[in-house]
Amino acid sequence: MSGLREEDPVRVLLVEDDEVIRKSVAMALERYGYRVSTAQDGLTGLEMSREGGHDLLLLDVMLPGLDGIGLCRKVRETSLAPILMMSARGDSLDVVSGLEAGADDYVVKPVDTAVLVARIRSLLRRAAPAPESAGGGALVFGDLSIDRDGLEVTRAGQPVALAPTELRLLLEFAANPGIVLDRQTLLSNVWDYGWNGDSRVVDLCVQRLRKKIGADRIETVRGFGYKLRR
Amino acid sequence: MRSLRWRIAALVALACCAVAVVIGVLVHRGTLERSLQVGRERAYNALTEMRREGTGQDKSTEEIPPPLLSQMLLSDEPAYWFDDRKSESPWMWGGQRVGDQLLTVQVDMGVHMRALVAFDRDVAQASLGALAVIVPLSLLLAELPNRRLRRVAGTARRIAGGDLDARIAGPARRGDEIADISTAVDSMADSLQTRLQNEQRFTADVAHELRTPLMGLVTSAELLPEGEATDLVRDRVRVLRALVEDLLEISRLDAGAERADLRPVALADVVSASLKQTALPVRLAAPTSGTLGTAETDPRRLDRILANLVINAHRHGGAPVEVAVDGTTIVVRDHGPGFPADLLADGPQRFRTGAAERGRGHGLGLTIATGQARVIGATLTLANAPDGGAVATLRLPPAGG
Repeated sequence: MSGLREEDPVRVLLVEDDEVIRKSVAMALERYGYRVSTAQDGLTGLEMSREGGHDLLLLDVMLPGLDGIGLCRKVRETSLAPILMMSARGDSLDVVSGLEAGADDYVVKPVDTAVLVARIRSLLRRAAPAPESAGGGALVFGDLSIDRDGLEVTRAGQPVALAPTELRLLLEFAANPGIVLDRQTLLSNVWDYGWNGDSRVVDLCVQRLRKKIGADRIETVRGFGYKLRR
Repeated sequence: MRSLRWRIAALVALACCAVAVVIGVLVHRGTLERSLQVGRERAYNALTEMRREGTGQDKSTEEIPPPLLSQMLLSDEPAYWFDDRKSESPWMWGGQRVGDQLLTVQVDMGVHMRALVAFDRDVAQASLGALAVIVPLSLLLAELPNRRLRRVAGTARRIAGGDLDARIAGPARRGDEIADISTAVDSMADSLQTRLQNEQRFTADVAHELRTPLMGLVTSAELLPEGEATDLVRDRVRVLRALVEDLLEISRLDAGAERADLRPVALADVVSASLKQTALPVRLAAPTSGTLGTAETDPRRLDRILANLVINAHRHGGAPVEVAVDGTTIVVRDHGPGFPADLLADGPQRFRTGAAERGRGHGLGLTIATGQARVIGATLTLANAPDGGAVATLRLPPAGG
């Protein structure tokens, strides 16, 4: 991932088949200072994402050819860039499959540009953690070690590739080892949601994190939330 | 004791008892008859011998029991009478009138009668013994169909509770009534699931078809240069968007596809945040009982309910609109004319705002509020205050309850 400096415009890849949405969202985001490249189907989107250089991917779920969920999964194989899904159906199938495939967050269409930009900013903050949230040296939990300065995670000596949201979530757990964190706290600390977030994004991100760092590292406390096992 | 299993056992026990009693009575009577026959034969033999040898004692009429005496006086034939006036020493009397001589004999029937009593006792004991074996056995055997029935009931309850994947399944080994009802429940669940899935798919497809152009419209309208005409367009886009979302929400509620995202929610925060978002003047009353509760609820659905109630109160009721939170109960009241009578009687009806003077609105708000309340397990009651004004009371389940 390329570094984010103030003067560099953030590059967003928008994959959307509806022409009006593609054009209007691109124009709206450009007004906010983003540089937007667009693709109108999944395969073109995949090709463009492989060329690299995107700081964030904005994917529609229903796409001709390769759909947004398949595209998300393919992109995740090689890239850790933040992915925001846009679903028009908004049903749990779209949302859950998208998050399972590795998306960091989702929005339901129609979405105001202001809301979309707020979600994009939250995702980018996670991708480039502020200095105060990082730092504090290395932490070790069993075979897992987290280098909070270099933002590197290794498991049994092997580096673990974590997407920004997964890393941010792990850091949140690591800052409170052995303490139960409820979904609401995680939603507001990691995703910047107020009281109106969807707790499924937490559940599915925890699932993805478990796959990478070991299933029993994060314990489910039924009815409350999750905690990191020391 | 109302379980089918116990009823079957009781029925089996009853049938066993009835059979034992009937057989016992029949055998008892047969044996008694045989014993009396033996007694009569012995009395006859004694009388015959007495007559032949002429040694019979002539008893006075007082010593002969009256039932025997009356028979003896009627004919010359030998007469018999079973004397069980004293149960410990039963006798068989035999008597015959020979000329004007009254000959009588007494045969002791004690042995026979005691044997009969012993026999009765044996029958009773054997019956009880058989019951002691048969009742537990029938309980055990009744448990098998009982377990299958319980499984049918449990599955039906799970289906009713929303788990449409629940099936009784199990091999249809026997073509009995329980297998029939299992198959019937399973096929009912199948058709219910198919219908629900079709409806959910349709709702999702409609959502996609409506929201895609709407999204283009919303974003494009934001790009328009500021101006009076733009404001008009944006206002209509906003109205259209709200209407589409309301309709989609209702069809999702109707399709029964909604699952609440329940978590402990501090009502103080959510209620004030939700009211702020409506951007309508609302008086939030101080809690009457001191503490604001924590409810086990879905904050986004709670927000939908509150927003709809408050918007409804403003649109159809009268200012001031008051919201009071007490424990996990939220009351929204206005000072307007109150809910119309047919709404209170039939519940909210979509696209019906009651009387024309109730003003604008498409009448979907209360339908949504009621539907969402059902999804989060809350109860929403609509009423009119005695001093005027509509009162909507939302009772939420408390957290950790």
